[in-house]
Amino acid sequence: MATVTTPATPPARAVKAGAHLSRKKRLFWPFAAPALVLYLAFLVLPTIATVVLSFTSWAGAGDTPEPNGVTNYTQMWASDSFQYAFRNTLIYVFLGGIGTFALAFLFTMVLRDMKGGKIVRAILFFPNIVAPVALGMFLGFVFKYQPGKQGLANYVLEGLGADAAKFLAPSNVTGVVTASLIWASSGFYITILMAAVDRIPPYLYEDAELGGASPWQKFRNITLPMTWDVVGVAGVLWTINALKIFELVFVLAGPGTYAPPNEAWTLGIYVFDRTFGSNGTPDFGAACACAVAMIALVSVLVVLLRRLMRRDAIQF
Amino acid sequence: MRVGRLTALTAGAALLLAGCGGGDTAGGTGENALPGVDQFLDAPCPEAGVKPATDKEFTYWSMWTADEPQGKVLQKAFKCFQEKTGVKVDVQWLGRKAYTQNLVPALNTDAVPDLFDQDVSKVGAAVMTPGGTQSVDDVFAMKVGEGDKTVKDVLSPSSYDFPQNKDREGHNFMVPYTIQSSAWWFDKNTAGDIQQPKTMDEMIGLFDKAKSDGKAAISLDGDIPFYNMYFYTQLAERYVGAGGLYKAATDKTGQAWKTDPGFLKAATETAKLPKYFIDGWDAAKFPQVQQRWADGDSRFLYVGSWAPSETREYLDKQGAGTKINYGSFQFPMPEGATHDTVEQMSIGFSVTKKAKHAEAAKAFIAYFLNKDLLAGIPVVADNLVPRADLAVPDDLKQVKAALDDPKKEHVLQYDGIDGIAGGKWQTDVFDPADIALLKGQITPQQFVDQLATKGAEFWKNQG
Repeated sequence: MATVTTPATPPARAVKAGAHLSRKKRLFWPFAAPALVLYLAFLVLPTIATVVLSFTSWAGAGDTPEPNGVTNYTQMWASDSFQYAFRNTLIYVFLGGIGTFALAFLFTMVLRDMKGGKIVRAILFFPNIVAPVALGMFLGFVFKYQPGKQGLANYVLEGLGADAAKFLAPSNVTGVVTASLIWASSGFYITILMAAVDRIPPYLYEDAELGGASPWQKFRNITLPMTWDVVGVAGVLWTINALKIFELVFVLAGPGTYAPPNEAWTLGIYVFDRTFGSNGTPDFGAACACAVAMIALVSVLVVLLRRLMRRDAIQF
Repeated sequence: MRVGRLTALTAGAALLLAGCGGGDTAGGTGENALPGVDQFLDAPCPEAGVKPATDKEFTYWSMWTADEPQGKVLQKAFKCFQEKTGVKVDVQWLGRKAYTQNLVPALNTDAVPDLFDQDVSKVGAAVMTPGGTQSVDDVFAMKVGEGDKTVKDVLSPSSYDFPQNKDREGHNFMVPYTIQSSAWWFDKNTAGDIQQPKTMDEMIGLFDKAKSDGKAAISLDGDIPFYNMYFYTQLAERYVGAGGLYKAATDKTGQAWKTDPGFLKAATETAKLPKYFIDGWDAAKFPQVQQRWADGDSRFLYVGSWAPSETREYLDKQGAGTKINYGSFQFPMPEGATHDTVEQMSIGFSVTKKAKHAEAAKAFIAYFLNKDLLAGIPVVADNLVPRADLAVPDDLKQVKAALDDPKKEHVLQYDGIDGIAGGKWQTDVFDPADIALLKGQITPQQFVDQLATKGAEFWKNQG
């Protein structure tokens, strides 16, 4: 009897489980569909449309897009404005990236054992809560050049006996923005990296200390390997953020209402200028071509970065 | 006594509030106030010359904001238009970028305004070219509400009758209500009553004098490309005349820059100016350098006829009791130049192609040109109008005289080269060469060569 009943139960359970699974399957689409539809409508389709439109000439002013092959791409590549924009964007990604991460690593070395490290971390994060536009306006005053009524930066320079510098001249603006970016974003990356550092078991550091390791050795042999994955993700985040830099440069290098001289452009400004052309019809085809170039650049850089950062995960 | 104190207190509070309002200055308050503002705003409404038969409303997207002087003048006109014709104006105050950021995208839809405004170059490049405007030729025959006088009768022909105001079928697409020009500005109180210099040497002498008086000679906000652009274009226009710069800029081979020797001569004259520019012009952040002129750091400023209204507003906010007695003069004829030019830019109304209430919009255009309403532009907004019979603001007397001088050749602002290829030619070809010339990084010869080679490259690339 018992032998008969016991086997009888598993099939019943299996049927029940099967019913649950099929109900789950039946519910999959009703639950996933709204999200998928929204994702498709607001992200996938516009991206596809951007790619398609980049092969057309379209003023976006009541006319219909006319296919024109790769003209937008060849024109873009040959344009000085694009060359400047491309160069500057790469400067922000690489120079700004190196600076930001160097600073962030430096702080991870110091902040761990520092008294009041948490407060310092919070303070370093502050520039992040300010909108880039506001930051750009503010820095415009800081870097003002006016003999007798200098901005803060030149006031300090003159106080130290140095000559005031023309920070906002188009040829200098890229350097100024790079420095501002490093200043403004390192707090964010310090926060991310420190969160990873906090997870490292303290005994590793204690052990290293007993062995007489210097802060650099501790960083090189404990902190960096143990946070490698997070550093990789932070690197990807940085690349994406740096590639779309727009407002900071727009308000710092120009009057804020009109595009700055093309020497200071970024890819974002190029897209903006072609979209709301300073003095004429938009050139949506050209703007889309640049947007596609940005997507391609992000993809290439991110893939390269991930390749470069690939390591076996360390278990701890 | 008590009443007096109370009035002073209220006046003080009003001033404070005006100061906080940000741009809330109908032609200036306090010491820089223009006379006649309240008189204009309180005056009775004139009769309308044309009453729309069917339309009871129309929409207008404005290049002004509601609290700007021009916004105030227009609001009075809307109120009057409704009172006299029963037509309600549905207005959106969108500001200067309305035409590219709001109107152009809207042209893809049917939700367009009936009426909008901007300067003729911008409307031409951004809205007329893709077919967004309709002919306003019929407006010129409409009555403005002064007896039998029509729009055509009251407007100066030079303000609308030029090639850049014609659409593809040859019809006008804009009716002007404001005229702008540009000039060398100075403060008569500190610089004395300077007369129009006859030669470049005479003008350079004025700059030398400023320097020997311990002042910077010329203020320039170098971060605005089209302010940097004035110097070369003004001089070149005097050598090659109206349309000359435009022709060279659109020359596919770029050789035009070299074949006409006037372009090199103009560059040579331009290169004489930068040593008089104020220290820091090339690291400027508009409007800081213009404000340094208003503060008296420098003696001269070359910008458009909006200089007085912009600096008045600044001085008001400073509240330091500074007052400028505005004077201006034009560039003199450089040696060997043959075209005595004066630059002009018309700002006006256009009607969209898909307008649902074109009849009412056009009737309003005619109504706004009535002298009792249009008077608000000089009186409240301190700007010039395309009518010869209205009072001219004191600040702009010399500019107006230059515009009305029958001997002078009228040229569209920058000869229209800022609108070529949607502004791309200026950004890619002209601006980099211009800034290099002004900074002394290239010689006048190199400047002309660069315009020729980069221009040819640009057009080859444009296909």
